[in-house]
This record gives sequence, structure tokens and C-alpha cells, in this order.
Amino acid sequence: MSGERSKEAGDERSNDVQDVLDAVMRLRAESRNESGRRPSRLRVESGDAAVELEWWNGDRPGAPAAVRPPTTTAAAAEPQPASASAESNAPVQPETGQSHVKSPMVGTFYHAPSPEDPPFVKVGDVVSPGQQVGIVEAMKLMNPIEADQAGRVVEVLVPNASLVEYDQPLIALVPVDET
Amino acid sequence: MFNTVLIANRGEIALRIVRTCRELGIRSVIVHSTADRDSAAVRLADQAIQIGPSPAKLSYLNAAAIVEAAVQAEADAIHPGYGFLSEDPDFAEICASHGITFIGPPPAVMARLSDKAEAREVMVAAGLPVLPGSPTALSTLTEAQEVADAIGYPVMLKAAAGGGGKGMQVVRDRRDLPRAYRDCRATAQSAFGDGRVYLERYLETARHVEIQVLCDLYGNAVHLGERDCSVQRRHQKLVEETPAPELPPGLAARMGEAAVRAAIAVGYSGVGTFEFLVDPEGEAYFMEINCRIQVEHPVTEMVTGIDLIREQILVAGGRPLSLRQEDIQPRGAAIECRINAEDPDRDFRPTPGVIEEFVPPGGAFVRVDSHCYPGWRVTPDYDSLLGKVVVWAPDREQAIARMDRALAECRVSGPGVATTAGFLRDILLNPLFASGKHSTSLVDQMNLDAPAAG
Repeated sequence: MSGERSKEAGDERSNDVQDVLDAVMRLRAESRNESGRRPSRLRVESGDAAVELEWWNGDRPGAPAAVRPPTTTAAAAEPQPASASAESNAPVQPETGQSHVKSPMVGTFYHAPSPEDPPFVKVGDVVSPGQQVGIVEAMKLMNPIEADQAGRVVEVLVPNASLVEYDQPLIALVPVDET
Repeated sequence: MFNTVLIANRGEIALRIVRTCRELGIRSVIVHSTADRDSAAVRLADQAIQIGPSPAKLSYLNAAAIVEAAVQAEADAIHPGYGFLSEDPDFAEICASHGITFIGPPPAVMARLSDKAEAREVMVAAGLPVLPGSPTALSTLTEAQEVADAIGYPVMLKAAAGGGGKGMQVVRDRRDLPRAYRDCRATAQSAFGDGRVYLERYLETARHVEIQVLCDLYGNAVHLGERDCSVQRRHQKLVEETPAPELPPGLAARMGEAAVRAAIAVGYSGVGTFEFLVDPEGEAYFMEINCRIQVEHPVTEMVTGIDLIREQILVAGGRPLSLRQEDIQPRGAAIECRINAEDPDRDFRPTPGVIEEFVPPGGAFVRVDSHCYPGWRVTPDYDSLLGKVVVWAPDREQAIARMDRALAECRVSGPGVATTAGFLRDILLNPLFASGKHSTSLVDQMNLDAPAAG
């Protein structure tokens, strides 16, 4: 399925996206040479031509034995249906052990304390319970959003400075080995 | 006029408002709880924003979340529907401070009128007849006893900040007043956060008749006739109709004129309802004003041909009233029955569950306002209203026959789900109701007459 989608994207989308996909395939080829480190997840956005990659630790129990086909998403390129609240609350790409940091209120989600600052977390970061991962601004109040459990950030699900609803997943985490 | 209206409600009324917004070319934004994410209004609105979990306190009563959603959705106005925040002056103030129009009367007017004791004073000043009672909220038990002695028993104690019948106490004997006074105060304090109570004469046999008014922002007001809402159970209306049957000639018109004068006098705007009790001698006494659209507004729409939600939105948007009193010529008779998810055989216990079969009635001059569909889950978090069946006919007799036919057609079922449809048919067939000579005690009389269910 994801192979088909990336082909479609190559046919229909701009050269920017093709460039990004080429870069992704290059990275993937290179990563094969590093023993035990395989890409487990990647995210492509066509709006600002961004790519996010996640590597598994090779010895992680339950890690896929074979390299998975790359997963591409082009969500940012497609306008969301108007009343998509139910969809946006559905778990994104169910994956073993994945959990979500959810928004406790309706508001605006920010990745960073200010536009000049780096984001609270990036894909690949390991967060601990209580660690701030974002801000939801509501009624001019900045509400810190904290991880309620430890985990590794595999995806930031909501673009910076966009509307979030109550209970909407913001950040996807997977468990981290204690050892 | 507004570009975008946010609807801060749920159920049938949210759907009702979305529909009129669509007809007006206004973009509709619905806010909803997690329990309502698949609601009919969410599906139909132009945008939906989930604002909180199921409990109303954290969603439909969460003023901050609703206003934040309105700001995010760039709404010019908020329609509060009925219940929830619809008569909350603080919420209206918050809307105003964010540059959002609250579709309702000005907050200051609402604050005065939502206090029943103060509304009574205001209406006395505006020349409306009220039942003999305490001129202001009571301060002490001694004062309550003095007032009750002066007007004579039975009396009724009410919470000044109250609504929905909560805290109301009928006192028939002087010896019972101290306990009732304490109970009413305690209920008022816990239910409304305001322990003030007042007292007025209790009418054993009365009709509940109310006047619909519509006012613009420029001091123009009309009334759209009366509704009879005498069929009640524990102060909850079950059946409403217009015109009110068997009223003395000219009474409804006099009540309408008085309500319009009072509305203008207090600076009212938007839609509102003046509730009266009519005693067996045909005297009408003002009770309270509802500063919102009411559940039973469709019966007025059916006989006048006027979409009240449309008029409400237009006047809130600053349009002068397009209707003159002489333009409003009610025709025929209309009845509304509220279908609730309650079990009449088990003391009207709520029956939440998933609706599997939903077949609303149809046919000529039958209107169904309902948010239900097969697969809809009725949750225990909110009121039990499943929908309203409204019929129109040239006269009351035909309207009753049509309603009976419509209710018989209506099929709503699911595991554990019961409805009041059958009980409503019993009311229609009751000789007292059919004669139009019933009072607010009709349902109690029916329950006494019916053999005990065991």
C-alpha cells in the first residue's frame, strides 16, 4: 500500500517531493550498510518538504526482522475535511506499544516555547514522565503539555501552531528499553 | 450579518440550528463532547470541534473551551440553544469581551430576569399581574411565615436562581413551612449556588400558558401568540400546543400585549418566552421569563409560518424586525410531543442504550426534529430527549388525531431503550385532554387512575 502511495506521489506531486523521496531512498540504502540499524518509520511532508526518520535499535525485542517498505504520508498536502474530528482522534497507524500524548483541551498546539526556540522534543528523543513536550494555548493561557509516561518520540502528529481539539493525539511514543 | 455561527449545544436543537444557518448561508461550527463525536449535528455542520469529555461540566458548560473554539473557528456569534449556557449572563459577557455576539438578550437584562425574585419585581413594575407573594427574596423564616400568613395557604417556595422545578416546595399547612423553607434553601444552595428563595400563592388547578416574544435591538417587539404547556410531569413539559384551548375570549391577546410591553420596558432583545399560570377563573399570573429559544418553539412556527431561529439570528446580527404585529396571523392548531428515552412503566427511569431501529413518522403536516438515527448511542450524560414530533391541522381535533397516528407510526427501539411514545398517546386519548379542560395536574391524575404497575 505504501509503495503504491509513494509511486503516486512521484507521478503527481512536484519535483520537491521527488527530491525528498530520492533523499529518503538514499538514506535507506546507506542505513542498510550499518549493521543492526534499520529505519523503522519515516514521515514525509510535501508542504515544507520535510522528512523525519526513525531507526530501531537492532537488538530491540520485537523489532521487524526485515526492512519494512518506507511509509510515506502526504497528509499536509491534502486539505482536511471540515468535520474530521472523529478521524483525527483515531489512533494514527496502530503500531505495537505506541501511545499518544493527547491534548487536554481545545486550543493551539506549539512545538516550542517561542518561534525562536528549538522544539521541546524531536523525533527520536526519549522523554520521561512529566517532561514538557509542547504547549497548548487556550484563552491566552499557555498550558504546558507533559508526557505522562516514558517513551521515544516517533512522530509529532500535529503541525506547529495549529488547532487541536480535546483528546486529540499530539505526539506518538513507543516504549524504550530500560537496559 | 454573521459569516460564521458557533453552536454551543447538542442533540436535536443543535441540528435544528445548523439547518437554519445553512438556509441563511451562514457557516456553522458545532462544538461537541467525545460522546457526541458521531452526532447528526457534527455530520451536518461545516466544522466540528471536540471541546471536552462527556460530562457537560467539562464540555457543553465549559465556557473557556467554547470561546476558545469560537476564536479558533473565527465565529462571529455563538448560538447557545436551550439549557447549558443559554441563560448564563457570565458566559454572554465572556463572549462580548472576545468580540463574539452571544445570540440572546443583553447580559445585564438576562442577569436581572434569570433571578426569578427580581424578574417578579421587574414585571410588577412593568404592569404584569403576578400571584400574591413575597415582593423580594426572603431573608428569614419569620419573614416567610409572615408573607405566607398574609396571602394564605397553600403556598409555593421557589429558588430565586432556580429552574427546571428544582427546589420547588408546595406547603399546605403553616406547621410544614419551617422544614420546607430549610429544604428549599438547601436545594437552592446546592443546585444553583444561591440559597435565596421566594414564596407565592400556589394554584392547585392551573394552566401553564406562555407567550412567545421576538424583539430587535432597537426597541421593536412583537408576540407570536401563546402556547399551552399544561401537560407536565414533575414540572417537565411533555405535550405543548397552540392555540391554548378553552381560554376566556381575548385573554391570550391581552397576555401577548402585556408581554410585549414588559419586554420593551426591560430592554429585551431576541426571542423570549413569558410564562403565565391561568387559574380556573381565567386570571393570568406572570411566573417567569425564559431568555432563550425553547424546546416547544416549533408549534409556534407551525401556525405562524415563521422560522424563529432565523428571526433570532437576524435580530442578533442587528437586523431590524421585519415583522409587524399585524403580519403575524396564526392559522390552525399545532401540537408537539416530546419523545424521551424513558420508561413510563418504571417511573420514567432514563433508558440509555444504542438505538437499533429508528423510524420517525411522516405524512402530511408532520414535522420531526430529532438527532437520532439507527446506531446512535443515547448516553446517560445528557437529557433524555430523543426528538419532537410536531403536527399541524386546521383544528385541534384533527391535530390530536394526526398526532395519535404519527406516534403510532414512530418506531424507536434498541437493547434497554424504552420511549414515552405510548404514554403520550394515552395523554392524547384522555377525555380531559381531549376536551381541552385539563390542568397541570393531568399526568398525576392519570397515574392515580391507572392501575398500579406492581
